[in-house]
Parts: sequence; structure tokens; C-alpha cells
Amino acid sequence: MTISATQDVVARKVLGADEPPRRRRFTGTSVLVGGFLILTCLAMLSPIVWTAMSVTKPTDVAFLNPPVFTWQPTLDTFVDLWQTTNFYQYVINTLVVAVISTVLALVLGLPAAYALSRAPGWISTLLLVVALIFRALPRFAVVLPIYDLARSVGLYDTTFALALALVAINQPFTIWLLRNFFADIPTTLDEAAMMDGCSRFQVLRRVMLPLMGPGILTAGIFVFLFAFQEYLTATILTDVNARTVPVFIATQLGQTLPMLQQAGAAAVLFTIPAIAFAFIAQKYIVAGLSAGSVKG
Amino acid sequence: MKKREFWMLVTPSLVVMVGLLAVPLYRTIEWSLQNVNYGDPGTFIGLSNYTTALTDPRFGRAVVFTVGLTLVVTAILLVLGYLLAVAVNRLHRMRPIVLGLLLLAYVIPGLVGATMFSWLFDSNFGGPVNYLIAHVTGQDLLWFTDTWPNRVVLTLNIVWFLLPFAMLVILAGLQSVNPEVLEAAKIDGAGPFRLHWNVIIPSVSGVIGFVILISLMDVLRVFDPLVALSPQAAAIGNESIMFYIYSVAFKDGGQQLGLGSAINVLLIIIIGIMLIPSIRATAREGSR
Repeated sequence: MTISATQDVVARKVLGADEPPRRRRFTGTSVLVGGFLILTCLAMLSPIVWTAMSVTKPTDVAFLNPPVFTWQPTLDTFVDLWQTTNFYQYVINTLVVAVISTVLALVLGLPAAYALSRAPGWISTLLLVVALIFRALPRFAVVLPIYDLARSVGLYDTTFALALALVAINQPFTIWLLRNFFADIPTTLDEAAMMDGCSRFQVLRRVMLPLMGPGILTAGIFVFLFAFQEYLTATILTDVNARTVPVFIATQLGQTLPMLQQAGAAAVLFTIPAIAFAFIAQKYIVAGLSAGSVKG
Repeated sequence: MKKREFWMLVTPSLVVMVGLLAVPLYRTIEWSLQNVNYGDPGTFIGLSNYTTALTDPRFGRAVVFTVGLTLVVTAILLVLGYLLAVAVNRLHRMRPIVLGLLLLAYVIPGLVGATMFSWLFDSNFGGPVNYLIAHVTGQDLLWFTDTWPNRVVLTLNIVWFLLPFAMLVILAGLQSVNPEVLEAAKIDGAGPFRLHWNVIIPSVSGVIGFVILISLMDVLRVFDPLVALSPQAAAIGNESIMFYIYSVAFKDGGQQLGLGSAINVLLIIIIGIMLIPSIRATAREGSR
């Protein structure tokens, strides 16, 4: 990237990428801080670690009280999950919903965010405030009417309806985030390109899109993550055909112990890509979370 | 930018938002004035759904519980998020690894995280936390069916999920504090506490406001954690407003869709009131 993207700079700073390495000093404070961080990390990881332990136990001791701390590890639950449920189908559904909603959110959001970043004035302000209000709406206020609509047009329990609903629900966030990235690109670039005879749309396609790489990636990662995590909308808009993994896990709760352990196995399998995601896409997650929060 | 170009760029996104956000929202308001069910035209009954909701003690309990939970979670998030951000800010080589570990809670779906919490705590699932507490205090806590233990586990789960976000946003704010100001304060003899309280916190007030905004919006609308952690929420007084809406307007075929819609509208009003400062700040930001 040759341009000065503020978000990118913030992300690098937050990750400490630009700081020169210092010599270690062990002081009372650093021991205290280190201890605090280690304890916090352990506490934050404990639910994940315990679940991973539970699903490798034989079913008869997995949820025993008092808990068992030594056991013969087995992968039987994963085999059961594969053989007795449609987990495979639910994973495909979740991925289809996440991909469709990410692509649509970006295709719709990019032009809108560009226009909003370049058109200051009352319209832009109004739309941003409306976006904030829509972002704060309780899900049920829009999802229940969408459910009614989906039933009446025959789209209930389809991945497409769920993806479309998520595009709409996440559109305010998408526009906000992309607008902040666009706002970092100097308008002199637009003006220069238009002097050379580009129309607005050509400016967006030929000049802005190549510069928006980090912004598009960040917004895409977040919309994908939101679709991947969504439970409420998915449980309302799907039944069995378009069921996603979080909904599947919820339906397994309160059932028999083997089913509960299968839910745990599903949770672990579903968590592994999320963990990979947290490390690989870290820079973009950091950039997205800081965007809009450190401005001004 | 010309007006025509502006509208051409904005329209596709606007159509989706009007069609799938504004129109549904209008439907919810319409339903709140009706005796109605899904796929049913409904009959107008005026404000009677609102009077039902406002005189229902269950609604009052849900509001008090949700608002209380929101305030407690927000306060914990600010304190822990700030401490954690300051601690992580001191790290160098370890920082990406620590950030990655802390981010895990944020990328795991809320419902999955809540399910994991239920296994960590409840004795029905052999929860090690319960085992430890029982070992130390000799008391077996009922995390699912006793009001206060259930509140504690819900609070911990929501803090667990939102803490990485709060920490990262505050950390980003700490990066923008002017080092010269810090140096000057130190030369003037400010101790660590004064330095944080009088210099650093005021200069990151913007990001703190942002954390408060997101925390208010998310916790007032809390739903997912209750599904896994509080199956008997209504009976023990730990029902969130969203959970209440779900049980009257959707579960068992949505017997009281009108009532659920009225509560939706009331929740929007509560969120709106709590967001007034942020809306004003946004209006200023947008007209910049």
C-alpha cells in the first residue's frame, strides 16, 4: 500500500509492529503485569479448553460430577456427530450464508460508503445517524416481520433468505466501517482522476477499489464473522433445511448426554477455524475494531 | 459530487435497508397496535398491547434485570478493559500472541461461548468451577436455577465475550496519547495513579465513549447467552427483554405477536433514550 491509510497505521501500532525491540527489564511492576496477563489469558481460555477436554472423554464420564481429570482420550463423539447428525449439511449451510452475505454486503456497501464519504452535508449526516439507529435496533423488531414475509413468499428455511436478512442487518455497520476507510483517502485523488476524464463510477472502480484493499478485507472479515456467529436470526428464519451450526448446537442442548457431547464436539470443530481466524486475520480485526473509535 | 451520482451510488444499499429494515420496523409498529398472528391480517386494538405490557410485572422485571445487567457489565468492561489494555500496551514481542489469545472469545459465536460456560460452571455437567467452589466453601451453587448464581454466570459470560473488544478499542486509544504530554506530567511529579486518572483517561475519553456505546447496545439486546445459560430465566427473574419478546412472540407459534411487537417498540424507546449522547456525537461527526 503506497497510501497513508490511517486504519492500517493504527492496526500496526496496536499490534506493536513498528516498535523497536527493547531490552528486557524485570521489575516488580513487570512481574505484576505479567501475572495479571497470564491469569486473564487463562481465564479467557478456560471455557474453550474445558470443552475440548470434555469432548475427548468417553461419554459416560464426560459430564460426571465431580469432574474427571484423567481419562482415556477418544474421538468417538466426533464419529457420532458425523454419523448420527447432519452436521456436514449445517456446516455447508453456515458457509453458504456467510459467503453470500459477505459478497452482497460489500457489493451494496462499497458504492454507498464511497458516496457518503465524499458528500458531506445534511444528507450524509442524516444517513449516518439513521445507520446508527438501525444498528441499535433489537433484532426481533426486524427479524419477526422478515420471518412473516419469508413465509408468505416461500423463502422461509432457505439459506438465501437468511443471507439476505443478514446483509440488511449488517449493512449499517458495513457502510460505517467502509466510510471511515474511504475518508482516509484524500479527495485530491478523485479530483485528479476526474480531471483526466474519469466519471465518478470509474473513479470508484479504477482508483478507489485498488486503494481500498485493507478496508474491503476488514469489512469482509467482519461481515463474514457476524454471519458465522449469528444465532438469533438463523433460529427464526430456518427450520431443518437451512439450519446453521449455532442453531444445531442450541437444539442439542437439554437433550440426552450423548447429544450434549455431540454439541460440544460441534462447538470444538466450529471453534478451530475461528481460532485460526483470530490469529491470521488479527491485523484486520484490530483495524476494524479501532476504525471509527479513535477518530478525532 | 453531483446529486444524481450520489443517489445512484447510495440507492442499491438503500433499497435493501428500506425493504428489509425500515419496512419490517414499520410492520412491528403496526403489529404492536393489533391482535395478530403470522400470515394473518390482524385486527386493530389501539394501545391495549402497550397497557398489557406496562402492567405486566414480568415486563417490569425484565426491564430492571436487563438495565441492571447492562450497567454492571459496562462498568466491569471499562475497568477490566482499561487495565488489560494498559498491561498489553507494555508488551512487545509477546503482544500479537497475547492479543490473539484474548481475541478468541470475540470470534467464537456467542451461543457457543455460552454453552461452553454452562459446562464450566454447572454441577449437572460436572463443571470444574462449581467443583472448586464447593471444595473451598463447601457450598454447592445452583448456577441454572438460583437467581444470583445465574446472574453471576451470565455477567461473566457477557464480559468474557465483550472484553476483547473493549480492550482492543482502548488499546488503540492509548496509542494516540501524546508521549510528550506523558513526559511533561511525569516531570511535574505525577505518580502512576494521577498519570492515568488525570492525563491518560481524559485523553482517551473518545474511545471510552465508544466502548460504552457498543456495550449499551449489545447488552440491552442480550439474547444468545440466556438460551444456553438460563433456560428457566422467566421463573428466576433473570429474563432479558429480548428473551421475553421471544417467548411471547415466537415460541409456541407466536401466540401474542402483538404484545411482543409492543415490547419491541418499548425496547427501541429504552435503547433510544440511552443512546441520545451517542446520536448527538454521531451527528457532529457526520457533519464534520
